[in-house]
Amino acid sequence: MKDQQAYYINGIGIVSPQKTFDPADFLTEITAYHENVLRSVTPDFKAYINPIQLRRLSRMLRIGLTAATICLRDSKIQTPDGIITGTGYGFLDETHKFLIELLEQQEKQLTPTYFMQSTYNALAGLIALSVKCMGYNNTYVSRGLAFENALDDAILQLQDRPNANFLVGGFDDASEVQYIASKRNSHFKTEYINSLELFQTSTKGSVQGEGAAFFMLSRNAADTTWCKLLDTTFIYSPSGNEEVIESIDAFLEANNISIQDIDLWIDGASGDAEHDRIMHDLSQSLFSNTFHTRFKHLCGESCTASSFALWLGAAILKNQQVPAIVKVHPDKNPERLKNILIVNQYMNKNFSFFLLQQA
Amino acid sequence: MSQRVFITGYGLITSLGKDASENFQSLVHRRSGYGELRVLDTIHRTALPACEVKIHDQQLQELTGVAAGIGFTRTALLGLAALQEAIRMAGLSETEVRASGLLSATSNGGIREFEKYYYELMDPQQRGDFVRFTDTANPGEHCERMADFIGIKRYIGTISTACSSSANSMMQGAQLIRHKKLDRVICGGAEALSKFTLNGFNSLMILDPEHCRPFDSTRKGLNLGEGAAYVVLESEAEVLRSKRKPLAELKGYGNANDAFHQTASSPDGKGAFLAMEQALAMAGIAPQQVSYINAHGTATENNDLSEGLGIQRLFGEQVPDFSSTKSYTGHTLAAAGSVEAIFCLMALQEQMIWPNLNFTNPMPELAIRPVTSLRQQVKLNYILSNSFGFGGNTSSLLLASV
Repeated sequence: MKDQQAYYINGIGIVSPQKTFDPADFLTEITAYHENVLRSVTPDFKAYINPIQLRRLSRMLRIGLTAATICLRDSKIQTPDGIITGTGYGFLDETHKFLIELLEQQEKQLTPTYFMQSTYNALAGLIALSVKCMGYNNTYVSRGLAFENALDDAILQLQDRPNANFLVGGFDDASEVQYIASKRNSHFKTEYINSLELFQTSTKGSVQGEGAAFFMLSRNAADTTWCKLLDTTFIYSPSGNEEVIESIDAFLEANNISIQDIDLWIDGASGDAEHDRIMHDLSQSLFSNTFHTRFKHLCGESCTASSFALWLGAAILKNQQVPAIVKVHPDKNPERLKNILIVNQYMNKNFSFFLLQQA
Repeated sequence: MSQRVFITGYGLITSLGKDASENFQSLVHRRSGYGELRVLDTIHRTALPACEVKIHDQQLQELTGVAAGIGFTRTALLGLAALQEAIRMAGLSETEVRASGLLSATSNGGIREFEKYYYELMDPQQRGDFVRFTDTANPGEHCERMADFIGIKRYIGTISTACSSSANSMMQGAQLIRHKKLDRVICGGAEALSKFTLNGFNSLMILDPEHCRPFDSTRKGLNLGEGAAYVVLESEAEVLRSKRKPLAELKGYGNANDAFHQTASSPDGKGAFLAMEQALAMAGIAPQQVSYINAHGTATENNDLSEGLGIQRLFGEQVPDFSSTKSYTGHTLAAAGSVEAIFCLMALQEQMIWPNLNFTNPMPELAIRPVTSLRQQVKLNYILSNSFGFGGNTSSLLLASV
């Protein structure tokens, strides 16, 4: 038995391929995408970033800083005690621009702008600079576990500093270079689909997504609290369904929660017929009686898509409502909305679980 | 009650040598790795010398036992060489390796291969061995490759905070142990030279074509380096259980942010000061107890001034011996933190202080000067190792003798 120590999500800011940037709005407008790339629905950046700074920032930095700013405002915290980000590919668009220049110009007369903006911790550094946060700062780039590592880090920091507030975020960019390079290994579908019909497809590959989601994590409840994060864990490269099921069981047991206590689970299926087999099996076995929701038809697949799922779970608990668009059986409703389990997978190799509870 | 964290093994490969003993010999004999580039294919080969590991990928494959043509990047190969040595030194069994965590740091992962095969990778019609490098623009790729190769499953993670990355990976490994999430974590970083980083730093105009001169008033910039270094961190309980002899204790660490500029350090070294101060506070020791600082000391105008002022602010009149070993290895970027932490471990083990090469002219802004000759038979109890990076990241590790 581990210590029962809950963590509170006291603010969220999220920019995603759906209109999610307004914390008061919960999936009332839905956007469908038809070319397998889901790009962010962005607000007017000027409402969040000063104009002089705005001009110098890449698109990903704008999206990331905006999501972080929304989160800070939502949690009514000006300067957090630490900033931790997770990203799969970071600023691959900027990396790509610098790379093209260096290849085309044969390593001559290069300007540093894109190189500087390609550093993976550029966003965590930029947020620190913007809110003058001289505290803890870290960035994880662990493919499908980057956001998970970032949360783990924040949780350990909060164990040492019970009154601190940590800003933790996941971000990824739907970069063209990743899309093209990944086509070869069927990471993305070769036929164009309507993104909202992602789970009706039976082919290999997913659709490419992006976004940035920031969370204010604390050990103390506040009047801005969305929900509690009871626990999170991940497994790397499981040998098969058995290991995934055993790990979920062990995770719930460690938290004194039974499968019957879970009112709703959020399934990280990506629309890839092969990768989704485990998730499908879970829905038939472990979760056969649990209210079932999915989300990657809304945000697409990315290394940090689990951060979208964390927002979704928190928003369901806060609003005590499940938007029809995420329900697997749209006509049904859960009996109660107290405990939510997120089970995410990335490329069938990175699995993560998040246990949320109504605050 | 949190667990104490001990170091029970390490391994590294740099331009000074392919293992710990070769690195040690180079440090003792003042042999730096600075020279013309022979392995990396670049137009700057002679104009911008660096501290390159003069071993081709094929030999690295032989060294590590990786089959040819399966898509291991140079970063992953360098990492694996260091990782294998660390596991050997700690004497971990296969079962113990499997139950370990792996935290690796890199600033650009497999960008070297991505840039090499860029045009082929961008043409989905092309086929060939290069397809094994498809995902090498992903920085986490090298960590999964290494974990899969040596059979680590328990916990993995990749950190990228530019030049402070592997100090942060050691810090997070220690956090996981202190809070009893894991008993053992292998932490460090790996970085291969690439055209991307060489040209990136060149475009920032902070590369010195001459051999770099940390803390010297004539310093003109850094030399890039490559390498990898990992340490085995274990909990006190695990050390007692396994009866392994700890080499040192990771007693304190600090991580702060300068919040000053995207790529430059603050002129007053506030971030550096905060990171070192936190490391001392966590270890519960006074500044006077520190016997050596392995400085970040990149030899850029900005860093050495900022760091020097940060050191002076914390230590006042009693600044301990300090030096930058980047005059030996160049700046190995994300690997620098763990490379230098290992140099500190060697210093503790051998009771030696490594000289700062190429120092002649004191900086007018500073009252302090680095150690310039090898010091032997020095009683060392506590050592600080600094690592700072773009994005304002400042990290400091405090190692204690056992």
